[in-house]
Amino acid sequence: MGRPRSPANAATAPDREDGIPLRFGDDPLLWAAWLYYEEGMTQGDIAEAIGVSRATVNAYLADARARGVVNIQIVQEKFQSLTISNALKDHFGLEECIVIPTDGGDGSLIQRLGSVGAQVLSKLMKSGDTIGVTWGRTTLALAMAMRGRDLQDLRVVQATGGTTARIKWTPEACATRLAEAIGARCIPISSPAMVSSPEVRDMLLREAVLTEQFAALADVNRIVLGISSLRPESTIHTSGFFDDARPHSDYIEAVGSIAGRFINARGEPVVGPLDARTIGIELADLKKIHQRIAVAGGFDKVPAMLAALRGGFVNVLVTDSATGRGILTADSYVASTRRSTPAPPSEVPAARRSIVKKLINNPAAIVSESLEGAVLAHPHLIAPIDGSLRSLVARDGPRPGKVGLVIGGGAGHEPGFLGYVGRGLADAVAIGNVFAAPPPDPILACTLAANGGSGVLYVYGNYSGDVMNFDIAAEMAEAQGITVRTIVTTDDIASGPLDNRGGRRGVAGNMFIFKIAGAACDQMLPLDTCEALTRHANARTYTVGIALEPCSMPDTRRPSFVLGDNDIEIGVGVHGEPGVARQKLGTADDAADLMIDRILSEMNPSEGDRVAVLVNSLGGTPMMELYVINRRVRQRLKARGIAVHATWVGHYFTSLDMVGASLSILHLDETLTDLLDAPCNGAAIYRPGPA
Amino acid sequence: MPLLLPIALKAGPFHATPSLLLHKTAGTGECIHMTEAILASDLVNILRAISARMNEDRNYLSELDGQIGDADHGASMAQGFAAVVRALHDANPEDAPLSDLFSIAARSFINAVGGAPGPLYASAMMSAAAFIGDARRLTPAQALQLIEAMSAGIAKRGKAVPGDKTMMDVWSPAAHAVRTGLEAGLPAHEVLDRACAAAQAGCEATRAMIASRGRASRLGARSLGHLDPGAASAAAIIEVIATELRATGKMGLRPGAE
Repeated sequence: MGRPRSPANAATAPDREDGIPLRFGDDPLLWAAWLYYEEGMTQGDIAEAIGVSRATVNAYLADARARGVVNIQIVQEKFQSLTISNALKDHFGLEECIVIPTDGGDGSLIQRLGSVGAQVLSKLMKSGDTIGVTWGRTTLALAMAMRGRDLQDLRVVQATGGTTARIKWTPEACATRLAEAIGARCIPISSPAMVSSPEVRDMLLREAVLTEQFAALADVNRIVLGISSLRPESTIHTSGFFDDARPHSDYIEAVGSIAGRFINARGEPVVGPLDARTIGIELADLKKIHQRIAVAGGFDKVPAMLAALRGGFVNVLVTDSATGRGILTADSYVASTRRSTPAPPSEVPAARRSIVKKLINNPAAIVSESLEGAVLAHPHLIAPIDGSLRSLVARDGPRPGKVGLVIGGGAGHEPGFLGYVGRGLADAVAIGNVFAAPPPDPILACTLAANGGSGVLYVYGNYSGDVMNFDIAAEMAEAQGITVRTIVTTDDIASGPLDNRGGRRGVAGNMFIFKIAGAACDQMLPLDTCEALTRHANARTYTVGIALEPCSMPDTRRPSFVLGDNDIEIGVGVHGEPGVARQKLGTADDAADLMIDRILSEMNPSEGDRVAVLVNSLGGTPMMELYVINRRVRQRLKARGIAVHATWVGHYFTSLDMVGASLSILHLDETLTDLLDAPCNGAAIYRPGPA
Repeated sequence: MPLLLPIALKAGPFHATPSLLLHKTAGTGECIHMTEAILASDLVNILRAISARMNEDRNYLSELDGQIGDADHGASMAQGFAAVVRALHDANPEDAPLSDLFSIAARSFINAVGGAPGPLYASAMMSAAAFIGDARRLTPAQALQLIEAMSAGIAKRGKAVPGDKTMMDVWSPAAHAVRTGLEAGLPAHEVLDRACAAAQAGCEATRAMIASRGRASRLGARSLGHLDPGAASAAAIIEVIATELRATGKMGLRPGAE
């Protein structure tokens, strides 16, 4: 069973002929197990060495396992792969399913899938086989990884016509490579996969060459399939296989493609005008092939692969663990709990929690009542515009010639948004419902109030709702002759990969970005400059948040998601959107390290750099704990040789009552330092003017 | 302040899209048998029924949203359509052109909701208003085409496509079913059934998708296995539209005949 087969060496062989070596105590099981598992001796050698029969050694070893002397552990990742492969096999009635770890190993996922696929095909194929092959990157990787076995009378048949596209993984390339590798005769389909009309197809199919090739295709007893997603990023769109697959409204239902044909989410063929122009195997015939080996992986393929499995197009599947798990989740598969598996962080606690207690008069009125109270608390700073609490203007803000700064977003982030309105900060704020973007009307009202004739800057977090409403408002403002520039903040580095910075959301780092933008506008800089400086601040602001407990909406008064007893959610959104990963709660220092590690690795500061730090409560975490986090953050920054220019610790951007914290760091330069130090006066942030 | 929106709507964002104008606008054309005509009162009934349904589904939708979003979808949709019903009640539009009814609905919806559903459903309803033009009644086929018009409005504003795990996974196939059904000359009630089935299937299909738009898109693969709340509310809306249109008895079958 894969244990090392090194011969027993003399130094570690039994050192007493007449009994059990002392170090094994009186335990023959331990002795036998040691020799077998650690020394790598065979059972026969052990029998000889300890003077019992081979059958006894065998019994000792079994006993050793049963009594827990030996504990056989399968490496976590491999174990998961095996669990997933069993589940896929059971759930979809597959003959065989091979699941490889998604991460690790050498080469890309496609390469690794290809080489495992090659091993699988190599084991399954037999002399006399006629093997069909489709096309695609993974299929080509399989063909390239294939090594010959000494089999006879093999044929490889290209399952579809060819393409002239400048890609490497054409049907011709896949078939030729595979045939070469296994020493098979290669039978191409000597026509394009897609021809100009059904008539041309019918004519071509009457040609003797194609008739013969199609006869071979009908003999196929094993086929290697790629499964293609139809997502915009899929290579199918650049394959040249379809002149224009997506625009055809006939294929609106299609979620995946196999051998140039389309299937819907239920795995049924989607028939459209391309079918009659396609030269290649038909889905109904494909399904009749004895063994249908699909090799595919990647999240974008989950809907397509699920469809192919549901449709019964596959009976041998080679994929990776993350994709496999995705397919099972997508099909609502629930694992049976017949054995204890290394438990992933618990998803759902046993008992549903009761309603969360809140100080509320009426959920529907909470936003207005809260705003009413805020305006009464800060009468010298903010005032309603035209009597509407949903749009507030700075008492000392807008003035002729100054670029107007309008911010906004949903309620529930207090002092978020309205606390950043005032001199040296935003001129006006539009407030939506709890966690919902404000509608265009209040945003427009803010725009008009903030407008000093030099243009208006919109700065808000990157959420699709906010973007749509602010965009509509901007269009309305432009119609009234006001120039509007928009900057969406994207400081939450956990919410998307670095190469998609523009897709990240804006969270507590907003505080820094509002401050910088407000200072730029307050200094009467022109619109272009204000915009550039704000973008600069956004690009140098980094935030990571963790949640310990979910928040609960005033409307439902129930937790918006569920966290297990010891779990934390990393990268949680300020609206209580579940984070990007979940893990066990460690100490405060662990949590701080987790946040600062991520930030430093992306920020990549040099020794001597200066930063501003914001340790922010998501609502329910007390100052006491925030200070503990700040302590660790400072230790880490000091160890990196980074100087902290300014620190804020407290409730600056919350998510209702969520327990958790976020760390934001603004990577300063001279310009940003000056703007950060400029005086300002808002309910959430105050910087005194020069003495 | 409320005056500002209509001006801007005409000025730009919600204005009828050229592609939509290629549809025959509903105002002109065939003579309608009065027994089959869809009237303002029918449309108001539909909007009322949607409001009632959103209120019923409010907790369910919020729970779905909590799994991949911020748990407010149920509240938003319920509040939005409640505002629509209030506005229609105040405006008493039964004598006005049908398109006014949708303009009023759009305005009240977006101002009550904001967020993402606000602009999307407001665009849907403005698109419906543009399709209706100055008609005062609709043929059954035109009533069905409202689904297409609404879908086009949402697509234009939200820029999502099917497969993104959004409400478009429901609206788009439903609209497609309407278009192909009408092109095939199927009776109105059958087209309605198909649209409804396509909407349900589209909603169910979002389970297998990874969100690539909206808040859930930041979740990556963790959005797998969950129904999209926007798709769920869209499927419910289309179901209500179908139920109410059937109940008018003007879709080629008597109420209760199915």
